[in-house]
Amino acid sequence: MFIEVKDAKKRYGEGEAAVYALDGVDLSLEKGKICVILGPSGSGKSTLLNMIGGLDSLDSGEIEIDGQNITKLNKKALTSYRKQSVGFIFQFYNLIPDLTVEENVQVVAEIADKPLDMDEILTALDIEKYRYRFPRELSGGQQQRVAIARAMVKNPKLLLCDELTGALDTKSSRSVLRFIEKINREYGTTTLIITHNEAIAEMSDVVVRIKDGRVDSITENASKKTADEIEL
Amino acid sequence: MKLNKRYTRSIKANLPFYVSASVLTMVTLLMFYLFYIAGTGINRYGDEFFEKYKREDAAFTTYKEIPDEEIGALENKYSVTLEKERFAGVDEGGHRVRVFCPNEKIDLYEIQDGRDIESDDEILISAGYAVENNVKPGDVIRIKGKDYTVAGTFLRPDYLYMVENVSDDYKNVTTFFLCYMTPAEFEAQFGGGSINNKVIYTEKTDEAAFRRAVNEDYFMSSYLSADGNMRITFVHEQADMFIMSSWFILVIFPLLTVALVCILLGRRIRAEQKLIGTLSAMGYERSKLMRHYSLYAVIPGVVGGLLTSVAALILAKPFGSLGLADYEPMKPDFTLPVWVAVAGVVIPTAIYYAAAMLRVRKLLKADTVDLLSGKVGADAKSRKILSHKKTAVKRKFAVRQLVGSPGRSFVIFLGIFLGATIVAFAFSFIDSVRAVGKEAHGEFGSFKYEYILNSLENGKPEDGEAMLALQYENEESSRFSLLGLDRDATLWNLTTVDGEKADLENGFYVSTLCEATFGVHKGDEFTFRSIATLEEKTVKIDGVIKNGYQSYLLTSREKAAKIAGIDEKSYNAVLADKALDYKSDEVTEIISDKTYEMQMENMMTAMGGLIYAFMIIGMIVCIAALYATINTMITENRHNISMLKVLGFEDGRIDSMILSSNHLLLIPGIVLGIASAYGVMAWYCKEFVEVEHIIIPATLYPQSILYTALITLASYVISLLLLRRKIGRTDMIEALKDGRE
Repeated sequence: MFIEVKDAKKRYGEGEAAVYALDGVDLSLEKGKICVILGPSGSGKSTLLNMIGGLDSLDSGEIEIDGQNITKLNKKALTSYRKQSVGFIFQFYNLIPDLTVEENVQVVAEIADKPLDMDEILTALDIEKYRYRFPRELSGGQQQRVAIARAMVKNPKLLLCDELTGALDTKSSRSVLRFIEKINREYGTTTLIITHNEAIAEMSDVVVRIKDGRVDSITENASKKTADEIEL
Repeated sequence: MKLNKRYTRSIKANLPFYVSASVLTMVTLLMFYLFYIAGTGINRYGDEFFEKYKREDAAFTTYKEIPDEEIGALENKYSVTLEKERFAGVDEGGHRVRVFCPNEKIDLYEIQDGRDIESDDEILISAGYAVENNVKPGDVIRIKGKDYTVAGTFLRPDYLYMVENVSDDYKNVTTFFLCYMTPAEFEAQFGGGSINNKVIYTEKTDEAAFRRAVNEDYFMSSYLSADGNMRITFVHEQADMFIMSSWFILVIFPLLTVALVCILLGRRIRAEQKLIGTLSAMGYERSKLMRHYSLYAVIPGVVGGLLTSVAALILAKPFGSLGLADYEPMKPDFTLPVWVAVAGVVIPTAIYYAAAMLRVRKLLKADTVDLLSGKVGADAKSRKILSHKKTAVKRKFAVRQLVGSPGRSFVIFLGIFLGATIVAFAFSFIDSVRAVGKEAHGEFGSFKYEYILNSLENGKPEDGEAMLALQYENEESSRFSLLGLDRDATLWNLTTVDGEKADLENGFYVSTLCEATFGVHKGDEFTFRSIATLEEKTVKIDGVIKNGYQSYLLTSREKAAKIAGIDEKSYNAVLADKALDYKSDEVTEIISDKTYEMQMENMMTAMGGLIYAFMIIGMIVCIAALYATINTMITENRHNISMLKVLGFEDGRIDSMILSSNHLLLIPGIVLGIASAYGVMAWYCKEFVEVEHIIIPATLYPQSILYTALITLASYVISLLLLRRKIGRTDMIEALKDGRE
């Protein structure tokens, strides 16, 4: 398995105020698949994504990514893991406002071991014409495409998307999802998408439902649709 | 209101900023406090001591002794207090003693240690010498072949600054001291001794009439008013320099610091605009919000002010004592006036409060929607810089940070500038004083020794070159030397500032110090008067000779003698390029080519503590200012730092990317800081002319520039190192949540 999560537990707060964001999560995912994680607010899906992405550490349990147990990595190794293996896409893009489109992508390419061709990525995401613009000069959908380009330029093994269409209108959402689908197809990048939107689950290979910090169900999607076919 | 519950949490979250802003406020205010306390303490002590121990208004000598029975008549006629002081000079084992018979009316002494003399084999010695040479009551000192027991040590008002000769530039407590013995013992040892008449004037006194009368009957040979006596004037002059420095420090440093903290407070409040917008949207009144945020601003003012008062209370005495290094061991009361302590708390607090108020008020004038989106105050105009250039992103980011946020860049520059200015000023002070030591003698000439003789001689000396040196004064009793040299003199500097050789036979020349002190220039007429007869003379100035250390009017020996009304072959000083065989009782003073250097080194030793304290304060200001500023910068960049971490940037790389923009400010900050310190020193030296009667060349040697740069750089690096942890601690997830628009 490419992703292996075993009995992952994470608690925030102490005593009576303690909340278990993850309360024994088990999850497996094959390489190259698109996995959509669904769940209500506070169910623990973002926490799970943060753990898999090496942004936070578990209280107990293990996470293996491509055979590497990331729960045992120190701070430096986790940074290296994020640098080499993981691409993040957030709901609110989190682009660096002082850098242009090109520079937001280039800043990651400069530290990556084997970056993809930046021009190719910008063209593929149809943002080449905006390369000298700053984030504030772009629409939400365009900014999210820059965020995808930034995530992909390092050629990550794993793409983690946290509510990537949450701040976008339907047209922009579909456009963004189309690029996610394209990347998965062309680069074989394993993709984890966290969303409230049930419709997005239809374009995934695997649907994981989380409730109260536990996995409620894992379903293989037998009738996978394209981004153009789903109803957003 | 519930909003107040934020105080503790918010202060805790921003503790480093409040600490650094408070420290910054404290350190700069403390500099003012300490200089002010030292200056006022010394002045107060001087006034009280002068009053209590009947300080003279003038001292004079006459060719004919004033009879004792005439003293009362002169006192009554001219409303003065007059006393004949008897003294004698003795050389004893390389140390020079000035022995006095105790006075009864003027220049009385105060016992510092031990007790007063009770028998003929006891003496009192001056306290500074006793401290310097570790002489204690009970020790024995040999004077004129007889052993005396030291009964105690003393201070007297006309010797609080212990210069051996009034023309000396620096004190000597190492090899020169004063001594009192009983009148009977003085009589036995020295007979009548020499006489120096002391006088205290009253409001009714017509000073000029008194001086004329004394000259008419007893032929005045010298007259030295208290205003021209460095041993007396130095007390208030140095204290006034402290007070002047304190106001200068107050005008420059605390104002800059307060401005810096106000800017940072403003930026911090701007960073809270989303919350302010939210609270405003929820219906919080503008006045409530303004009060709420202004109270945060009160913290550095109150804490900094209180810390200043506490630190001033603790440090006033040790710091003030550093300022006493030049004096005899005086014991002023260094206390912090209550009004100054209160002002130190109230003024910065009020300014910070007002700055915060204005910032919130300005923010609340903006559209609430803009506030909620965090767009108010964001300046995007400069961000286009380098956008089409093929260069490392890190470099582009740095330049845009620098240019795109001028306010932030300015405060960082200010921190570097402030630190460099203070440190460079301290170095410049040291260098300028040392420059006097190195360069002063060269301005006098090429002689190795100058012997000031006890008496007027006639003709030419066997060795060396003759010089006539006489004291004159202007209407305000400011003194200068009238010097007369032979036409073939080679050892005195005779080159004018125009590069010509002075024509002594036909002209009069002033030194640059005389020019600066009396305001007489080439071509002007200079009127002065005899200190004995008050007879006025006027001469035309034919040129100026560079000499910032002695105020003199130079001409030929014949012309100088003619002005003085003495034989034209007279001389009372000898210049020589080697040591001459004069007996100690034949000379009153020997000046060597090392005299100035030694005096300046002694001065530096005495003032070193003060200067290095100033330098350390500069470093603290630099570190605290940069810490507060860069801390704010990191807070403002929290979102970017977080995102870079998520992208896999190591902490070191993030440090380099976020903080490297500031490196560009180092060079202008240091360069302008050094330039401004030099400018301040030049001004300081100019002011020094009137106070110290010496032109100190504002100097900053290349190695001092290098040290300043290195110290400022070290302060900068220290502040960055202290802040690296903040970057390391930035929470990736929380910061990204904050960054949502």
